[in-house]
Amino acid sequence: MTATPQPAHEPKKWRRPLGIQLRSQLSAPTGDYRWVYLWGWPLRVVHWASAAAIVVLVVTGLYIGRPYFIISGEASNHFVMGWMRFVHFVCAGVLVAAAILRFYWFLMGNRYERFGALFPVSRKRRYDLWRTLRAYALIRPDEAPKYLGHNPLQQVAVTGVYVALLVIICTGFAMYGQATPDGLIARAFAWVAPLLGGMQVVRFVHHVLTWCIIIFIPLHIYLAIRHELLDHGATVSSIISGGRFVSVREHFEDA
Amino acid sequence: MHGPSTHPWVEGETLGTHLEERGVDRREFLTFCGKMVAILGLANSALPRMAEALQSIKRPSVIWIQLQECTGCVESLLRSAEPTVGDLVLDVISLDYQHTLMAAAGSDLERALQSSMAENKGKYVLVVTGSIPTKENGIYCTIGGRPAQEILEEAAAGAAAILAVGACAYWGSVQAARPNPTGAVGVRDIIKNKPVLNIPGCPPIGDVITATIAHYLTFNRLPEADGEGRPLFAYGKRIHDQCTRRSHFDAGQFVEVFDDEAARKGWCLYHVGCKGPATFSPCPIFLWNTRTSWPIGAGHPCIGCTEPYFWDTMPPFYDRLPGVVGFGVERRADIIGATLAGAVTAGIALHATATGIYQLRHRRQAEAAEGAATAAAATKEDSSNG
Repeated sequence: MTATPQPAHEPKKWRRPLGIQLRSQLSAPTGDYRWVYLWGWPLRVVHWASAAAIVVLVVTGLYIGRPYFIISGEASNHFVMGWMRFVHFVCAGVLVAAAILRFYWFLMGNRYERFGALFPVSRKRRYDLWRTLRAYALIRPDEAPKYLGHNPLQQVAVTGVYVALLVIICTGFAMYGQATPDGLIARAFAWVAPLLGGMQVVRFVHHVLTWCIIIFIPLHIYLAIRHELLDHGATVSSIISGGRFVSVREHFEDA
Repeated sequence: MHGPSTHPWVEGETLGTHLEERGVDRREFLTFCGKMVAILGLANSALPRMAEALQSIKRPSVIWIQLQECTGCVESLLRSAEPTVGDLVLDVISLDYQHTLMAAAGSDLERALQSSMAENKGKYVLVVTGSIPTKENGIYCTIGGRPAQEILEEAAAGAAAILAVGACAYWGSVQAARPNPTGAVGVRDIIKNKPVLNIPGCPPIGDVITATIAHYLTFNRLPEADGEGRPLFAYGKRIHDQCTRRSHFDAGQFVEVFDDEAARKGWCLYHVGCKGPATFSPCPIFLWNTRTSWPIGAGHPCIGCTEPYFWDTMPPFYDRLPGVVGFGVERRADIIGATLAGAVTAGIALHATATGIYQLRHRRQAEAAEGAATAAAATKEDSSNG
């Protein structure tokens, strides 16, 4: 019995996290569809980690801003505000870590994820912003310009959320630093209160922007699901798997 | 404890001798020095040094000028139920010029100020209470016909150290609140070439002033200050982090209205607008009125009077966050936020319904077109067959 010739030693396939393997298997066009890879795993980690953190931050943050239930009994038996603040600070840490990763990915990501994808700057993009707005306002989904990544309206919304979160993080640190006034955080964020006009204004801005984020959440979920169902887009599935199938015949403005 | 003086200070007398004359024994004096050392956060070894320095001083010249203010700071210092050794020290060292307390009046008083400044040029401590109006060439506050700014600049030129006592001297206080009709500013806005130590508060605690002066007399320099020029020994920590009601805050126990059960139990005043979390002051530790009590201890939320611009930034004093002005009605940010969130959700429901209707109509049209096409094809087939 002759030994079957051993296949040449193949280099060990690097096990890549999340959807990347799926993408490599599916990137060859099958039939009329091809697989387009949009969101790298860092971006998806950023999205889901901050989504979870933001939900917890909103719930605990609204309690800290205005305690919505009161505990009776001996103070020494309870630590409700203490725990709320602890959880709030831990989730704030998660959000800051996600923000740092996102910033890194602004530089290292693909063209749908980079700095350039933040604003509709060109004349064409601005016109598409208007077309998208009109399509939404007049319920004419077939008139909306099609984008693989974020359409101009999404770009504006997402950039707005980034700015809001950045201000929330800075105001949050400014308040957090007050407990240790000679500490590193207090020194690093000492510019915030004078800039906004006092610590109470810092609180107020933090609070109002929280409401902006709260308002963004249902809008975001609705439009994502709507886009998934109605336009056969892949807003929901691509933030999970990282990519989407597109018909080879379909035209995209940013393909 | 110590009544009005029957022993006025005489030329050449040291503070130690003078206090003895007024019935302060050695033990009391050392207790006072120990308290000052503790307030300043110094090591115990500083006690002998301070006692020696304080008892041997020969009436340092302190000039206390009062500008645009309510005299509340002076009242706060002097109206304690029992004058303490600290009050006496303050009494002795603030004799040179203090127009509320001096017996002299009119041009005699102003001459006393002039001669004292000339004699002690470069050596006296200048204490300022009150703000400086700058609009209309400062006519809103004049003493002896001279505007406050001129008096301050002249007094500051020859001062060895400058203490700005109270919120007015720090940043202008209530007269500097919007719209600030007199253009009131603090000492630090006028005197830029010399360090100014701010002792904020409306009014500040007397012990902080006494301790600052004791520090200056002992070490010949002002205590260490933060970026705002406030002495760190007193203003280095938040009220919130030193508060006696903090355990109720951490537990989640809050007063909701001033006459509820929680208020009687002494729970946290966060809900009713306490600004302790944004205010740096030693009130919970030093206490007020000969260490009787303090605002939060007495059941009133802190209004943040040691913070700059507090009249504009801290209101509403009985609510957590500033109100939102719109449509002529002040509404809380929460109400507006919740209303908007509700409106957005309703808008989404409406938009989704409209989209559904569009989809339905679209499908019907497609079906109708398809039906028509099939029918047409069938007819065509029929006719070709026929």
